[in-house]
Amino acid sequence: MLYCDTYLQPATLREALELLRVAPEGSRVVAGATDLLPWARDGRGGDVQVPHLIDITRVDGFSGWRLEGERVRLNAGTVYQEFLEDPDLVRLLPNMPQCAAWFADDQIRRQATLIGNIVNASPAGDGLPPMLTLNATIEVARLDGDRVQTRSVPVEAFVTGPGRTLLQPGEIATAVTCDAVEGYGGSFQKVGLRRSLVISAVCCAALVKTDAKGRLVEDARLALGGVGPRPIRLRDIEEMLRGKELTRDLIAKVSLLPARHVASRSRVEYRRAVVQGFVGSAIEDALAALCVCGTHSTAKEAVDA
Amino acid sequence: MPDTLTHPTVTAVTLDLTINGRRQRVQADPGARLLDVLRDGLMLTGAKEGCGAGECGTCSVFVDGKLIKSCLMPAAKAQGAEVETVEGLARTGDLTAVQKAFHKTGASQCGYCIPGMVMAATATLRDNPDADIEEIKERMGGNICRCTGYSKIFEAVEIARDVIAGRLPHTALDPEAVGNSFIGHNTRRLDAPSKVTGRLRYAGDMVMPGMLHMQVLRSPHAHAKIVSIDTTEAEAYPGVHCVLTCDDVPGEDGFGVFVEDQPVMARDKVRHVGEAVAAVAADSVRTAREAMALIRVEYDELPGLFDPEDALKSGAPVIHDYAADNVVKHIPVRKGDIAAGFSAADVILEESFSTQQVEHAYLEPEAGLAYVDHDGVVTVVSPSQNITHHRHMLSHIIAKPINKVRFIMSPVGGGFGGKEDMIYQGMLALAAMKTRRPVKLVFTREESFVASAKRHPSRTRCRMGLTKAGRITAVEFEMLSDGGAYGMSSEGVMRKAAILSCGPYEIENLKVDTKVVYTNNTPSGAFRTFGGMQAQFATESMMDMAAERLGMDPFEIRRVNMMRAGSLTHTQQKLASAAIDRVLDAAEGASGWEKGAPSVRGESRGDLDGPGTRRPCTLGARVRETATDRFRP
Ligand SMILES: Cc1cc2nc3c(=O)[nH]c(=O)nc-3n(C[C@H](O)[C@H](O)[C@H](O)COP(=O)(O)OP(=O)(O)OC[C@H]3O[C@@H](n4cnc5c(N)ncnc54)[C@H](O)[C@@H]3O)c2cc1C
Repeated sequence: MLYCDTYLQPATLREALELLRVAPEGSRVVAGATDLLPWARDGRGGDVQVPHLIDITRVDGFSGWRLEGERVRLNAGTVYQEFLEDPDLVRLLPNMPQCAAWFADDQIRRQATLIGNIVNASPAGDGLPPMLTLNATIEVARLDGDRVQTRSVPVEAFVTGPGRTLLQPGEIATAVTCDAVEGYGGSFQKVGLRRSLVISAVCCAALVKTDAKGRLVEDARLALGGVGPRPIRLRDIEEMLRGKELTRDLIAKVSLLPARHVASRSRVEYRRAVVQGFVGSAIEDALAALCVCGTHSTAKEAVDA
Repeated sequence: MPDTLTHPTVTAVTLDLTINGRRQRVQADPGARLLDVLRDGLMLTGAKEGCGAGECGTCSVFVDGKLIKSCLMPAAKAQGAEVETVEGLARTGDLTAVQKAFHKTGASQCGYCIPGMVMAATATLRDNPDADIEEIKERMGGNICRCTGYSKIFEAVEIARDVIAGRLPHTALDPEAVGNSFIGHNTRRLDAPSKVTGRLRYAGDMVMPGMLHMQVLRSPHAHAKIVSIDTTEAEAYPGVHCVLTCDDVPGEDGFGVFVEDQPVMARDKVRHVGEAVAAVAADSVRTAREAMALIRVEYDELPGLFDPEDALKSGAPVIHDYAADNVVKHIPVRKGDIAAGFSAADVILEESFSTQQVEHAYLEPEAGLAYVDHDGVVTVVSPSQNITHHRHMLSHIIAKPINKVRFIMSPVGGGFGGKEDMIYQGMLALAAMKTRRPVKLVFTREESFVASAKRHPSRTRCRMGLTKAGRITAVEFEMLSDGGAYGMSSEGVMRKAAILSCGPYEIENLKVDTKVVYTNNTPSGAFRTFGGMQAQFATESMMDMAAERLGMDPFEIRRVNMMRAGSLTHTQQKLASAAIDRVLDAAEGASGWEKGAPSVRGESRGDLDGPGTRRPCTLGARVRETATDRFRP
């Protein structure tokens, strides 16, 4: 059970940071609470006493997102359901709707924030691989004397291991900024025990951009989750695909590579087998998504040729 | 406001909420979840706590129009919000279309998931009144049913959708005509309205004035001597009304379905992780938990037994003194002459099978409420699947005549056999007797997992002799089951496994032995099929392998051997009738089975992927839709 003495709902970032600065040891920032509350159960955290809970969901400026040039700035309150339901986000971040569709369920997605998922840094966190493909950076704020200071860190570097990040005491994450990749095909693969409410054994995110004919790969980005202590971007494969014509042979060839990245503590063989199939399907599904838009009608056929 | 909501050491928060259209001001513990405030503060018990971790959906409610899981929402987060619970749907008394449709299709079984299901269905149709079946399934994916009633639930949502959209008349929600006979007709469940509205109160939903809350201290060890239990600090903790150990049992301490080998709380030693060692009754759950943490138990660990085969070895640790060989029960069945049977066989097959432990995971965790009434009758209200037997056992345990013991069966939110064992009712009765106050205990999901009985894990060795024509000439069948730490229903399960062992086939020569032993694993008990599943897995697999070996059609080999009117069962009862012939015909037709031996024919089989084959899980209906809509030129 989770016990707390004081539940705080600051209205501004400065107020939130001030509350955090003076909060007794053991106090926590809370957003959707979908990781925090299940943690305070028997077999995990057990009965935990949290002096202050600082709920950041009502902080001014924490909801919503905006386009900043070539980048999308997702404020800290952004929840997973938005990636599924906001047509503009669907267009700009084309692998996030699939990620969201496989994430928990409709009810949890309305509470669960992207930032909570990143800060929680589970090796199986579904949001991490797509964020890596979107070259995401996380912005964190802290108080320096009276001044609110922010710094930005690539998500890839921010997550350092299971449950470990570069977030320092006194810091609050304020936004995630990622590439706006309209025109890319996106996909997300996940294997778990059932469709809803399942933690990934392995997940894989892809983004693919082709030339107008849908033949040559202009850009490909791939990342894996659930295969080791932290998510990994598959740059070696991306390099092999860039500028190439996509063929079954090429996909089959690159699919063999990521198995060696599997460094999980359990079900290693299973994960290796899955990963191989996933890289192929991630690329194919991303191409298929491009085909839906009509402009790249030949992309999938090109693969099959 | 009940004292369970706020803890003496913390300052309560004042929440202003609009609940089902009414402004309400509630005081709550700052750490309370919205679910706690609804259930304990506002008595809105339609939202249930099935898991407390967001996994099951029994607690779904609308907050500012959005469906969420109230076990995952700190109550303070809802400050100022509009909350709609299942009680708010049919406010005027008339059921909504969704509720009526659930009633119509018989979508409510145990009913425990149903308020959440109704809420999820309502949310689905509010968000997309035209949702197709795939989208309905996906949007309701966060709600789990364990009675496996999904088909009827989805049928209900589709009917409701069409009635709301005007595609079906309102009369589609009316009951079907029954005519002169109920047989062959759908009849309406009488209790459905109470379930679809969340009005039905399960044991965990019940409250009584002056009620105390119990928490149970459980063993962290699989096998250990209890050297001492010191409850002094817990007894002295403010708000505690009693602390119980086995010393508080006035009568003969032992319960069980066949052998009464289980003490109400561990006596002298613990035999499995999660066994109850002591219990605290206090003003609030939190106080009880805090006091529980103050109980000091000194254990002396003993070597444990975790494999049923080890339990039979000589020199194995002994788990119960009365059973030096660790055997709970051995059921032998003999018929004919197996030596002769095997020598008449053209082929002999031999194979081993194993099945694993399974948890029932009924959505209603164990819960109960006990009190001593004005006449001194010790009364226990709980979802017990065996109240009469529990009543008799409890009368011995508390040393009271049977007319001073009463059991009331509350609605069972799923049992599947798992609520046949009296694993907590004794503690509740003792606490009520000791405090003279009503006492309630509600298991957490985690507690239900560690403390309740499971399906018996089994290992079966089967030897089968057959003629070339597929007729079985002899079977030798040996099953070893892991009974875990206590006997519970093991004996009955072994009996059933033995009786059903060789399936619905007439076998002249057989030798069957089912055996269950004690180990230090979680006790095994009753679970749907009661041993039948473990045995059938072996026997039916043998039938398929025999068909393969003999190049026969698997339906055919079963027809050659099936019991008919006049057949003698394995225990030599003469059957007046048998239905397996019709079952086989129906199964063969429904499965679209392509005749022939079951040898793998791969993609050349004609019966693969036919109509009715379940498609693999694919990505969300909504993702596809959005993409298509948006990109349509
Ligand atoms: C039933 C269920 C199913 C789930 N399914 C999935 C799934 O399919 N895939 C998946 O990846 N995850 C899943 N999760 C996990 C969880 O929902 C996600 O990790 C979610 O994104 C966490 O976000 P939150 O807003 O709820 O975080 P919270 O629980 O509020 O916080 C999580 C952590 O992040 C910190 N934090 C939050 N916001 C900030 C901030 N702005 N600054 C600094 N620290 C912050 C908190 O202090 C805490 O340590 C599931 C959880 C449940 C209960």
